[in-house]
Amino acid sequence: MTLANLNSLILTLVTFIPLAGALLLVLCPRRDRDIRILALVVTLLTFAVSLHLPAHFHRSQGGFQFEVSRQWITTPNIHYHMAVDGVSLWLVVLTTFLTPLCVLISWKSIDSRVKEFFILLLVLETALIGVFTSLDLFLFYFFWEATLIPMALLIGMYGHGRKVYAAVKFFLYTMIASVFMLAAILWLYAKTGSFDFTTLQSAISHGQVAGFLSAAPWLFLAFFIAFAVKVPLFPFHTWLPDAHVEAPTAGSVMLAGVLLKMGTYGMLRFNLGLFPEQARRNAPWIITLALVGIVYGALVALVQPNMKKLIAYSSISHLGFVVLGIFSFTQVGLDGAVFVMLAHGVSTGALFMLAGILYQRRHTYEIKDFGGLATPMPRYAAFFLFIVLASAGLPLLNGFVGEFLVLSGAFQARALYGIVAATGIIWSAGYLLWLYQRTFFGKITHQENQALPDLSGFETAALLPAAAAALLMGVAPLLWLNMIDPAVHTALLPFSDVLSKVAGQ
Amino acid sequence: MTQTIPQVADYIRILPELVLAFFGLVVMVLDPLLDDEGSRKTLGGIALLGALCGLGASLWMAQSPGLAFWNMVRVDSFSVFFHVLITAIVAVVILTSYEYMAVQRIRAGEYYGLILFGAVGMTLMSSAVELVLIFIALEISSISSYVLAGFRRREASSSESSLKYFLLGSFATAFFLYGVALMFGATGSTNITAISQALQAKGVPRLAYVAVALMFVGLGFKVASAPFHVWTPDVYEGAPAPIVALMSTGSKAAAFAVLLRVMFEINTPGRFWLIWVSAALSMTLGNLSALVQDNVKRLLAYSSIAHAGYLLVAFAAQPGPGISAAMFYTASYAAMNVGAFAVVSHFAGAEERYVTLADYAGLGRRSPLLAATLTIFLLSLIGIPITGGFFAKFYVFSAALKSGLVWLTLIGLLNSAIGAYYYLRIIVMMYMREPKGEITVRRIPASLGVALALSVLATLYLGVLPGRVLDFALRSATQLMQPHRAAITPAPTPPVGTM
Amino acid sequence: MPENYIVRYLPLLFHMLIAAVLAGGMVVLSYFVGYRRPTRAKMSPYECGMTPVGDARGRFSVKFYLVAMLFILFDVEAVFLYPWAVILRQLKMFGFYEMMVYIGIVLVGLFYVWKKGVLDWNQTSTRRGTI
Repeated sequence: MTLANLNSLILTLVTFIPLAGALLLVLCPRRDRDIRILALVVTLLTFAVSLHLPAHFHRSQGGFQFEVSRQWITTPNIHYHMAVDGVSLWLVVLTTFLTPLCVLISWKSIDSRVKEFFILLLVLETALIGVFTSLDLFLFYFFWEATLIPMALLIGMYGHGRKVYAAVKFFLYTMIASVFMLAAILWLYAKTGSFDFTTLQSAISHGQVAGFLSAAPWLFLAFFIAFAVKVPLFPFHTWLPDAHVEAPTAGSVMLAGVLLKMGTYGMLRFNLGLFPEQARRNAPWIITLALVGIVYGALVALVQPNMKKLIAYSSISHLGFVVLGIFSFTQVGLDGAVFVMLAHGVSTGALFMLAGILYQRRHTYEIKDFGGLATPMPRYAAFFLFIVLASAGLPLLNGFVGEFLVLSGAFQARALYGIVAATGIIWSAGYLLWLYQRTFFGKITHQENQALPDLSGFETAALLPAAAAALLMGVAPLLWLNMIDPAVHTALLPFSDVLSKVAGQ
Repeated sequence: MTQTIPQVADYIRILPELVLAFFGLVVMVLDPLLDDEGSRKTLGGIALLGALCGLGASLWMAQSPGLAFWNMVRVDSFSVFFHVLITAIVAVVILTSYEYMAVQRIRAGEYYGLILFGAVGMTLMSSAVELVLIFIALEISSISSYVLAGFRRREASSSESSLKYFLLGSFATAFFLYGVALMFGATGSTNITAISQALQAKGVPRLAYVAVALMFVGLGFKVASAPFHVWTPDVYEGAPAPIVALMSTGSKAAAFAVLLRVMFEINTPGRFWLIWVSAALSMTLGNLSALVQDNVKRLLAYSSIAHAGYLLVAFAAQPGPGISAAMFYTASYAAMNVGAFAVVSHFAGAEERYVTLADYAGLGRRSPLLAATLTIFLLSLIGIPITGGFFAKFYVFSAALKSGLVWLTLIGLLNSAIGAYYYLRIIVMMYMREPKGEITVRRIPASLGVALALSVLATLYLGVLPGRVLDFALRSATQLMQPHRAAITPAPTPPVGTM
Repeated sequence: MPENYIVRYLPLLFHMLIAAVLAGGMVVLSYFVGYRRPTRAKMSPYECGMTPVGDARGRFSVKFYLVAMLFILFDVEAVFLYPWAVILRQLKMFGFYEMMVYIGIVLVGLFYVWKKGVLDWNQTSTRRGTI
């Protein structure tokens, strides 16, 4: 097979290998060990195949690559249109990278209904990759909704505590919000007869859509609400802590690592891409919400007695940075936003894995139940420290680069934004280090903690790649940024128009 | 009178009805000759054969489109679509009934005969283009379903269901007939083509508005749209589950076919607000009432009201996209709802004991296959991608938006989000709650397995490759919009209106 | 023509007159000629064995209903034979075959009813299931 052939096929492969694996699992007999191994093989294969993308990506180009576009359904005019640019490419790789880790971390902790668990996980992976690769709005919505069910089922079937409540809340929140997006997509289709992102984009920018000007504010809001709930932006965040606390470890990792990025990715691609002028107009209050989210998330995290809730609120805070970066409309800000998405995926994913490992031993997330764990679990403590530092933004680790870029962007846009956001970084160092101190240092207060076993082989295997990635991203961020940068530049092109228009008036 | 003798082609154009009626008669003749066990097995087989032959006959009928029997019946893509749909539904319902009849210890006999006779009425409804014939077909299908609804004779609820359905149903058909009479008064004809020509030529008399409203009352009852929906939950709760599957899909499809013909082919005056209000009410009332149901059959009943509402949205849209969207919706709703009721009827057990939501707790553990199938149907009812329900909603709402019905679309979309909640409750029950008490789930017999597999396949097929079905629907819609071209064949008798 | 027109209906008038005279004559004659020995039963409005006044919820055998229903069904079906007979000549053999099919369907119904034991007055429950 020639490279050109492979290039047009690669996105289909990456997207659907997990689904094929899921179908294979359906047919597989219920022997848990075989199922786990099969799931691991499939996810590793997907990851390996997805590495083709960065390897053969033309770095200098900002546009979409590996494009495939076929007519799928004639009426309505739906294309199987997939392609990636520098932003979505890395989100795809992030997804394929995290899924095998999820398989590893669930190796022992999932012991009933194993088959269903891995089937759901693989279906989820396909849906997530599909969200990032599809350029047809219809296809996008299709995958967007398709992520809901496996995720809700993962929470509801394998979670703990009030799992059903959390699953239903998660489902309803995001479902109702995305209804508005569907309405907007249908409106655009009714007016233009196309779902294709690029077609729509050029039609809108050339003013060829009838009635667009009066509808644009509503369309923007409709898309924005769907994405804001997913991110989650400050007032829409209430589903997140519940979903995280009750979800199984792998569910939390996928949720925080990838699912939340769907929202920010959507803002970047669709809110900015289709409605630049509206984005510009609405930016002030969106940035305000993002800032409130950064500070609020951090403050609530500070007082959380529950380890997983703490990480969940820290996610709200970090995702606030992403939104801030996106709506700063500066090159560095957007670079940083994308980088924070990736870095947050790796390090928060790892944090949830660490919390899950502890839960499996002690069946609690309460911080006060631990203390002095560094003595019985030295290797675990080392990993934890590494990830905490990465997450808190220590230079030379992944968290630093993104947040630094976002802050520079925010300062460029308006100094006040940067100042408020910078406090978020301080808070985050505070709650993470305090968490670490309470959990690992001091005397062992609970007898059960005396003889906790250290990391098992599978757990180490799951954590090591994440830690390595965190280090690599901190040391050599250019590997990522030189693909993100051209893409972001393209995304910002309409804004230079808007800016010059504003300046000219 | 130059020619009164029908030609062979006329018979081919009602061949499905003839075949179904013939097999119905065979069932009736054989029933008294067989004992209980034999009647279940043999008659079920014959009925299935009949439905399949009816399906084949529908496809054969498609080869010779045109008018038949003095312009009373028209075979076009539209009627072929509904013929195939209804016979397929009937076949699946019969497959579902095998096990049901055995478990409920109901003597089968007339049951299968009545299903086939009902099918005659339903198929005829979709090809009749003459209001009196439509009325007769409506009555044939209704009377069969009145009897079928009361087939669980030992249960009071079933008799209640039958009686309620009968009383309210005859009331509603009377409205329809009154509407037909007024339409005749307004235009001087009962033939749909003649009516539309008269309305175009002479302007719309005030009487015609009343006639349309009255006919809408009658048909609105049949499709269970608000505010004519109150019978639905009680009737669905009491009637045998496979029959509910038939009523909620087959009869509904037929009634929608009539509604499409009446509304669009006549291009009825003043339909817009009638439908708008009814659609909005059905969606909202159906979904809100379904939220609090504890009985799965009642829940699905309210859900079927809501779905009638979504479907009516298509009727408020422009004819072109509206008709095809409505047709697609009927097909995909049939696939998922027949499947859902097949699962319900299997799980219900003897005397339909297990029909509450609480009984479904832990079904995911007890019978993973059954739970997984039901999940697919429920997801389709919610309207999740890769299921037929998604494209159904999609086509309807995009048709509505294309016609500028932004508010109705928003009401519909919000309603489908509300709807997600109660379907989800069942899924949550099945997978996330521990099983309570001792409910033994029987093995899925082969017949039911085939029925479920067919429904799942249809649901997924419509969800992944909706193109072919939709293209067919679009073609039918165009034919329906230009009926006069099809009606050009020289009329052998004076216009029906003068007879 | 108008004169002729009314004249054509003259036989009808005679027919009605004769009928009225005949019926009225019988009643009048029996009043004058007949014997009368009134009893209680004879004084009641009808003499078919039913009490004319009483509880409306009196029960009688379900078979009455069945027979009444069957009567109406077959009666109505028989009515269709009349219009058919009028135009049979125009319909030629086609009409004949059509009616045979129709009667065949009615006969299937009769066969069904018979075999189900509905016509068997003596049995409380039929051979094949209960009615």
